[in-house]
Amino acid sequence: MKRLLILLLLAAPVVAYGKEVLPFIDNDYEKAVARAKAKNVPIFADAWAPW
Amino acid sequence: MRAFVFTDKALARYAGQFVWLAIDTENSVNTPFLKKYPISVWPTLLIIDAKKEAVALRYAGGATVPQLEKLLKDGARVVHGTTSKADEAIGRADRLANEGKHAEAAKVYEEAIAAAPKNWSRLGRAAESLTFALYQSKDHERCAARALELYPRVKGTYSSANVSSNGLACASEKPENRATFDALEKAARETLENPKIPFAADDRSGLYETLIGAREAVKDEEGARKLREEWATFLEGAAKKAKTAEQRAVFDSHRLSAYVALKQPERAIAMLEQSERDFPNDYNPPARLGFAYRTMGKYDEALAAYDRALPKAYGPRKISILRGKADTYALKGDKEAAKRTIEEAIRYAESLPEGQRSEPAIASLKKKLATM
Repeated sequence: MKRLLILLLLAAPVVAYGKEVLPFIDNDYEKAVARAKAKNVPIFADAWAPW
Repeated sequence: MRAFVFTDKALARYAGQFVWLAIDTENSVNTPFLKKYPISVWPTLLIIDAKKEAVALRYAGGATVPQLEKLLKDGARVVHGTTSKADEAIGRADRLANEGKHAEAAKVYEEAIAAAPKNWSRLGRAAESLTFALYQSKDHERCAARALELYPRVKGTYSSANVSSNGLACASEKPENRATFDALEKAARETLENPKIPFAADDRSGLYETLIGAREAVKDEEGARKLREEWATFLEGAAKKAKTAEQRAVFDSHRLSAYVALKQPERAIAMLEQSERDFPNDYNPPARLGFAYRTMGKYDEALAAYDRALPKAYGPRKISILRGKADTYALKGDKEAAKRTIEEAIRYAESLPEGQRSEPAIASLKKKLATM
């Protein structure tokens, strides 16, 4: 149990530091527009290239 | 930014204030987006007013966490309409830059700077965007002059990197205007060495590239060589500090450029092999290995690396991998294979959808084929 707790504690910062900090929508502008209109917020777009 | 910035928990409080969209510009599903928001600098960060489907803020280049926070606040301010005359002008200029109207955008960035209230927090971004728009419109003389005038107002801030770097890149186009060139080179060097500004490592890398370009422009080979060494050492230090494989690999392309510039491409091999093991689905490590081996004259290893990259590659980048492969065949003396590979590149380039299809790229491949 103690070991599990240590593992969970160790895992916590990894989760916070992981990819879910900002819930990015990948490659779907229409979906982003619809969601932003519904939530009445702007879109932040990161136009990137994999090279 | 994907490796260093978007994963930072300091940004969690903004999660619900925006809809977050990642656009891989090489992916053909994004063609409609790219037609509406053309991209010529990677990354480009956009804040879009969803109701109008219009750009509220456009920033060409990467950002650190504090820079991004500032951009988010500025963008939200534009969208929600709480803006001054200067804010209105910078928004208009960003939209012109988005349409590729760089000369017009530059004029409107000037309007924004002229209307800027005291301590206007957007001055740095306006100065960066102005000098970049002038660079893009090839108004090099004005770009250098304005960078020099604006530098004292952004000195010691994040914006000093892009303002001095854009200005020096422009001055390097006409180094005979020595007083401006020297002053901007001094500004860029001073910015690079300022320990108080927590730049992203790739910003510092960009400053090195501009400073090296400046030494090359005045034909100071020894000065350029020393800077290339310093650049490579800096990048190796930054890669060593990386906490994850993804963060380490961010520096691969910069390091490869530095090693090739130093005529020591062999220094890139171990690092690229490591990245190929760490990211087996990524075409970049084998494509870069192909380039490194080709530069070393090891053509068979280069061809093997290109062949590992090609099945994973997509979008316009695949054309440059095919070109690299064709060049390798040509250097090896296999003219027929080189020709076949260029023909394959043309077929692929012609098959790309509008938005990704580039007529100049196709024309350049056909011209190459005609000389083979």
